[in-house]
Amino acid sequence: MQVRLTDVVKRFRTVEALTGVSLTISDGEFFTLLGPSGCGKTTTLRVIAGFYDPDSGTVFFDDVPMNGIPPAERGIGIVFQNYALWPHMTVFDNVAYGLRIQRTPAAAIATRVASALEQVGLKGLERRTPGQLSGGQQQRVAVARALVLNPRVLLLDEPLSNLDAKVRSRLRSEIRRLQQELRITTIYVTHDQEEALVLSDRIAVMDAGRVQQIGTPTDLYERPASLFVADFIGTNNFLSGTVVDSADGYARVRTAAGLIHGRVHGAVREGMPATAAIRPENVFLADGALQRESPAQADNRLSGRVILSQYMGSVLRYEVDTAGVVLRIDIHDPKRHRPMAPGTVVSFSFEPSATVIYPAGSQGGRDSAGREPSAEPPDLRAGRDSGSAEMSTAAGASA
Amino acid sequence: MVSPAVAAAAARPLLKRARIPAIAWAVPLYGFLLLFILYPLFRLFIDAVQTEQGTFTLGHLKGFATDPFYRKALVNSLLVSVGTVTGTSILGFLAAFLLVRYEFPGRGVFSYLSIVPVIMPPLVGMMGLVFVLGRAGTVNVLLMDALGMVRPLNFIYGWHGVLLAMILHYFPLIMLSVVDSLGKIDASLEEAAEGVGSRGLRRVRDITLPLVAPGFISGATLVFILSFADFATPLVVGIQDLIASQAYLNIVQFVDRRLFKMGIVIGALMAVLAIVFLIIARRAIASREYAVVSYRTIERRPVRGLLRIAIPLYFSVILFVAFLPYLGVTMAAFGRAWSLTPFPTQFTLSHFNQVLHLTPDYLINTLFYSLVAVTIILAIGVPIGWVLARSTLPGRTLMDAVVTLVLALPGTAIGIAYIRAFHVPMPWIGVILTRLWIIMPLVLAVRRMPYTVRGTFASLLTVHRSMEESAASVGASGLRTFADITLPLIWRGVLAGALFSLMFALQEAAATILLVLPGWETMTVGIFTFYTSGTIGQAAALGFVLILLCAAMLYVVYRLTGARLGGLFGAGGG
Repeated sequence: MQVRLTDVVKRFRTVEALTGVSLTISDGEFFTLLGPSGCGKTTTLRVIAGFYDPDSGTVFFDDVPMNGIPPAERGIGIVFQNYALWPHMTVFDNVAYGLRIQRTPAAAIATRVASALEQVGLKGLERRTPGQLSGGQQQRVAVARALVLNPRVLLLDEPLSNLDAKVRSRLRSEIRRLQQELRITTIYVTHDQEEALVLSDRIAVMDAGRVQQIGTPTDLYERPASLFVADFIGTNNFLSGTVVDSADGYARVRTAAGLIHGRVHGAVREGMPATAAIRPENVFLADGALQRESPAQADNRLSGRVILSQYMGSVLRYEVDTAGVVLRIDIHDPKRHRPMAPGTVVSFSFEPSATVIYPAGSQGGRDSAGREPSAEPPDLRAGRDSGSAEMSTAAGASA
Repeated sequence: MVSPAVAAAAARPLLKRARIPAIAWAVPLYGFLLLFILYPLFRLFIDAVQTEQGTFTLGHLKGFATDPFYRKALVNSLLVSVGTVTGTSILGFLAAFLLVRYEFPGRGVFSYLSIVPVIMPPLVGMMGLVFVLGRAGTVNVLLMDALGMVRPLNFIYGWHGVLLAMILHYFPLIMLSVVDSLGKIDASLEEAAEGVGSRGLRRVRDITLPLVAPGFISGATLVFILSFADFATPLVVGIQDLIASQAYLNIVQFVDRRLFKMGIVIGALMAVLAIVFLIIARRAIASREYAVVSYRTIERRPVRGLLRIAIPLYFSVILFVAFLPYLGVTMAAFGRAWSLTPFPTQFTLSHFNQVLHLTPDYLINTLFYSLVAVTIILAIGVPIGWVLARSTLPGRTLMDAVVTLVLALPGTAIGIAYIRAFHVPMPWIGVILTRLWIIMPLVLAVRRMPYTVRGTFASLLTVHRSMEESAASVGASGLRTFADITLPLIWRGVLAGALFSLMFALQEAAATILLVLPGWETMTVGIFTFYTSGTIGQAAALGFVLILLCAAMLYVVYRLTGARLGGLFGAGGG
């Protein structure tokens, strides 16, 4: 079933939680709403579920407007962050409850509950109560409970965030497998970008009550539409400066660290402030230990001093101080690399095609609406959600 | 790289401070509980199965069991308790639901005022009820004047009066416990039900009520036990054939030794029943209690239309009737020669002059005993709260059980137990405790300690261990940690508990009335004496002062804790 939102606005007292959200989710798609806390992703999900009525705008299920229709009549199945299993009912009763409400015959209830529990791999635990289950098992019950009514759309609100890493990654795969088997339209809310990238057909990155970008995981990672998305998805280095010249979709920016050449996203003119974004894996050390050939041209050659090295198994990450700005550089396959001690001066470079230049302050629609700032400061959420390097000179100098 | 200072610190023995083992300072706590709770109870039980000569007998029990009058009284008592629980549940549940789930005009005021009835001294309330609804009370005089009725209507004399008084007095207990449980339900539990089509009353029945059940049962148990133990309310409206009233009457008559013995037997029986009720309740709660963490509470829904008037009206009517007695007391306290008119025609302060100036002993005794009692409570109850929340001391569970038991034990039973246990010289010191004034604050302390223990316990649970551990990790000693970290975080809860203890100590009328000797009279004794001797104005004036004291204390407690008073009561929760 297709789910479509047109210009949905939701206010809580004076705060606008959603400031005009439009989305179209195709039939059978695994669609993720991704964003930092307070961005409006859960509100969007709850509007789709019918727990909130939008103040304006419309939710369509297959072109049928849903506004005012209670959740139970929308044909949704919903899984909550904290499972929301009824603690006074057994696993069986939790799953069967909705069927009983629908006055399904007892025999049919038994078979449908059994098959729902089998789908999530919980056969044999029917008589347990939620308190006797692990977190992962509880979440499976919640999924079974959502699926047993054969919903037209499955809504998952941060379903894995209370689980530990191992269980999380296993359940993640199972949710995806189940979704593929059932071909059910699924809307998934998370603040975890890795989860979103792994699971989704498409992702909507949200911030400050609006959609910043919709795209496939590859789109978002490789072609982020704004500084916000560039920062939120994956790890990024940012270098701010002034545009020197631009031509053919490329521009050069003078920064404290040096001249940066890159692809332009948006419109820049000479003399405009701009920010360049380079992913750590696209930076190459011009050192004896370098992994691949560095690009030949003279642009984007910088140098700095190693201040920290972080060994992460498959990746070795250096933090390098360049003119008061800390850049991250990833070395893949660290086995073939001779580690450098802090204090070592290195030079490095990156390709213009892997460098994206944004007009300064291009944080999506944040500046256009004159709305109340959200709880989050409107700067780049450096190093917190996505682990990007903080680029402001002050912070860089203190590092 | 390790700095020299750090290295030097590491070289010092890590725990140089001499630590007092927990068990050492727990001994006084155990000693107190053993000597002043378990021993008197034990004495009471032994007395019930002993002859005058000290030989074992079941004769008294048989005498009780075969006496049709006592059997009927027992049935009556159980019926009154069931009736009270039913009535309070209906009023309390509805009030709690409305207060927690809906936003309506006056909600804040109603949520405060709805607590007031249960902290009011029941004796004063009964007296006031007679002034307003009695045969010559305000309402009957008004009706007779207006309708020319010859005979007054019987509003309160009889079983319906007992139920009316008890329901209006105890419904806040149910309300508080349900408010507490409702507030803990995570919004997603009900939304999940809504998502599968469970709505309205169906959802209340299937999801909300089962989740509220543990809190409700603990409140209902308390109401059951308290109404079972209430001897004064029935006596005022002329009902004597109840177990609690019989225990009281048999003890305070000092003529018939057989009846006195029967009073002891009934006292023991009431204690046993309280324990049985408590165990049943605990069982019922244990099988229904779920560790649910609430992430997001359910938002209050604003009400529209007629409900905006109907809901405040509901509260107004209940509260108006519940407060009527106190209006009556106030009128009687300030009225001069009030009789045969619906309201006093002349006003005076002479009753207050009498009770506060000419014979201030009632007030002085009450305040003195209660303050001594609270001092004992703080010395014993706060450490017990700490032991329950923090330590792994052996016997901790028993300690918890004893404290809960005290909350449930009828005052008459404790009073009788104290008379039996402490009327002989105590071993070693040779003191006869019942002849020393200290027995008054002691029995008050024992009776009212649970509120402070609970207040301390609940506040300590909110202080995560790691907060104390991080203070210890930067070098704070145990005492320093307690003073700098723990105390600032828990003092509100402790103070609220202590004020609750004080408030109920001031209005204690059961145990103390049995133990009082000339010169020790408290306000409740004074009210009783003045009332039964016909000097109603003075009884009312004392009652009015007591009401003011209690209301003031409730206000402070309410400001300290918000509406979350439920935790201080409750027979079940830990």
